[in-house]
Amino acid sequence: MSEMKKIKNLKEFSTSADRFEGANLLCPGCAHSIIVREVLNATNDDLVLSASTGCLEVCTAVYPYTSWDASWIHIGFENGSTAVAGAEAMYKALKTKGRLKQPDRNPKFVSFAGDGASYDIGFQWISGCMERGHNMMHVVLDNEVYANTGGQRSSSTPIGSSATTSPAGRVSYGEKKNKKDMVAIMASHGIPYSAQVAPNKWKDMVKKIQHGMAVDGPVFINAVSPCTTEWKFDPKDTMALTDLSTDSLVFPLYEIIDGHELNITYRPKNVVPVEEYLAAQGRFKHLFKDEYKYLIKEWQERVDANWAYLNRREEARV
Amino acid sequence: MANTGWDEFEIGAMLRTFEGEAGDIAGTLQEDRKYTENSSFSASVADWRIEKPVFNKDYCIDCQFCWIYCPDMSIISRDKKMIGIDMDHCKGCGICVEVCPTNPKSLLMFPEQADEESEIASWPAKEDKEK
Amino acid sequence: MAFDKMELRDIEVWDGNFAAAQALRQCQIDVVSAYPITPSTPIVEGYAKFLSDNYVEGEFVMVESEHAAMSGCIGAAAAGGRVATATSSQGFALMVETLYQASGMRLPIILNVVNRALAAPLNVNGDHSDMYLGRDSGWIQFDAYSPQGAYDLNFIAFKVAEDHGVRLPAMVHQDGFMTSHTAQGVHTLSDDEAYGFVGDFKPMNDMLDFEHPVTHGVQTEEDWHFEHKARQHNDLMTKVMPKIQAAFDDFEKLTGRKYNIVERYDMDDADVAVVCMGTSVETAREVATEMRAKGIKAGVVGIRVVRPFPFFEIAEALKGVKAIAALDRSSPNGAPGMLFNELAGCLFNQEERPLLSGYVYGLGGRDLTKAHLVDLYTELQANVDAGKVTTQLQQFIGVRGPKLSFL
Repeated sequence: MSEMKKIKNLKEFSTSADRFEGANLLCPGCAHSIIVREVLNATNDDLVLSASTGCLEVCTAVYPYTSWDASWIHIGFENGSTAVAGAEAMYKALKTKGRLKQPDRNPKFVSFAGDGASYDIGFQWISGCMERGHNMMHVVLDNEVYANTGGQRSSSTPIGSSATTSPAGRVSYGEKKNKKDMVAIMASHGIPYSAQVAPNKWKDMVKKIQHGMAVDGPVFINAVSPCTTEWKFDPKDTMALTDLSTDSLVFPLYEIIDGHELNITYRPKNVVPVEEYLAAQGRFKHLFKDEYKYLIKEWQERVDANWAYLNRREEARV
Repeated sequence: MANTGWDEFEIGAMLRTFEGEAGDIAGTLQEDRKYTENSSFSASVADWRIEKPVFNKDYCIDCQFCWIYCPDMSIISRDKKMIGIDMDHCKGCGICVEVCPTNPKSLLMFPEQADEESEIASWPAKEDKEK
Repeated sequence: MAFDKMELRDIEVWDGNFAAAQALRQCQIDVVSAYPITPSTPIVEGYAKFLSDNYVEGEFVMVESEHAAMSGCIGAAAAGGRVATATSSQGFALMVETLYQASGMRLPIILNVVNRALAAPLNVNGDHSDMYLGRDSGWIQFDAYSPQGAYDLNFIAFKVAEDHGVRLPAMVHQDGFMTSHTAQGVHTLSDDEAYGFVGDFKPMNDMLDFEHPVTHGVQTEEDWHFEHKARQHNDLMTKVMPKIQAAFDDFEKLTGRKYNIVERYDMDDADVAVVCMGTSVETAREVATEMRAKGIKAGVVGIRVVRPFPFFEIAEALKGVKAIAALDRSSPNGAPGMLFNELAGCLFNQEERPLLSGYVYGLGGRDLTKAHLVDLYTELQANVDAGKVTTQLQQFIGVRGPKLSFL
């Protein structure tokens, strides 16, 4: 196994040569790109990548341009994870048969997909990859909607969010169901590593990605990706929004090892009220009407309960 | 490339990023790579901008926040020093300005047509932060 | 070499499924990504057993659905190696999306399709409704009429599909149960002969070549899509048949068994002919010989290469025939049968247009009997004698209830 790239601090990290290119079609301020950069720069090893249909894929591989400096494949919406699994299987086969062109190189297999592609339409495919034990990593770029097609709800869309297929209106406050816990669902496949990351805590993300790339077996990473277009905030505030998401504990940062050992990896010095997180986004602005303010209170209660649950698991070492 | 016929490109929905052998791409700086015309590196999105960041190196502490949080790989950092902005790839999102920690900031947004030299010459002074 | 060879007898008694599994073994697949579905399951079971008995090396990925099976095959093929799988019916339907993706990405993958009816109602038995579902998917498609064909055509398929001048995925069809589960004597190739015919896999645009990273599966819109699809169609229309013919010729030299793009049986002076696919071809041949004894000059045209459609080869085979029956083993659900339509297409502009009628038969495993075909040939002769089609243009054969005919 090749040596892990040593990244002591940000200055050292900044000597990375990106393997992802600009002049792509992503929105100005898109967090997907920041996450992809952190993931790809976490290693110097060769990469075999995939993306499922979605913002990342659609904006980085439109003929005649590609923004990818490593081998990359897009097949469809459901099956980015299986594409990489197939490539990983071929790698193992060629290795056994002595037909690898560069046998001394150790590629990392990483599939990227949005929450729509991962939580919904591609759920079975990812579950299959995790269950079969492929040596790969699946990274969810979680912006809590089908952003590429204009912001329809997915099973990652949180309560009270106004999405185009669960819009807030005169008699509705938008999405009624809470998002499902994919990190736990995937962890319960018994995979060696499952974690939630955020691009603002780059050191935490890079550490987790490196750990994921070093373990043998499937890894599931859920990355919060605040979306300037669908969450409705100014593009310049992407990192500020990410800070609010992690510091309000709406997106707690933690890892689950072998499906049964949870570690919280970030404890904010000052926990920010959930209301501040909601207030910063246009998709929640209707919650500030008198008739829906109770939902903000419920939000805080839910986030607190989830945080307490994570702490209990960590304490109990499960 | 713009108007090639059905018989003039490689088969399959496929593109190549580099001319010839790629070598160790992770160990090769962008300016040393042999990109094909199909790499988006060879394209420009400068016309997306309505405002642009201007870099004032006098105040920069090379913290690299702008480098890591730029979604467009447009903060050019060499030998751990911020040396400039890639104006072909910068979309003018303004994140670099927001994350810059110095006071005054080392990066500020100006209208696209602003003259960089005169803006640097009249850079705002240090802000007294209200406690 | 870290696996064992198998010593086969000159003739083995194999059903179509096991014959296909043996062919895959001899081709030494790198990655098989598969999901079980009746009646194709024994192909992948056979392959799994070969792997666990060390007769093959490589990866066998038993995925969680047929869509995932083909998705895994595409990822593996793009990575760069020999890839194959098998499916039927519902599984085929589930992976239809990925079939188009595989061919658009010009990746050689071999798919054994054991033809089975499509639900609803649910049915595990053989007909061609799954084959017909995939006809526009951009794959090269061969049809086997017997376990021998299921065996031989796999080798042909690999040789043609992996050719750098072709680079298209290929299907080998065989009738569910009627071929797949019926054992016959199959003339075999030795492991060395078989692998030697197909040759080593030669990668192209392989993702695992880290010196030449590639982006597979780009998006094209109104400015580029048409050119990409036109290129694919052009290659199917111009590059594939010559390669298939060459492979058939090479195979004949190696084995003495001659395959043809269109299989003509007693067609030289035929007045009446049946055009069909699958096991029906052999049944029709027997009946045609019996009709000859009764004074009817009957012949059979079997389609061997379904796609690319052998437009000129079929017209050539049917030259001089006065009445033709197109036999479709799939319900066209509100239209004339596919074979009827495609034959009409290649015969329409002929100077001397023959009489063409269509028959829908054998759905969901219903037998096509010799008696059915005797009646059919008799009807064709009646058409010839009358100088026009004496029946309706579309008739259902072998279904209980009042006679069904349309058009």
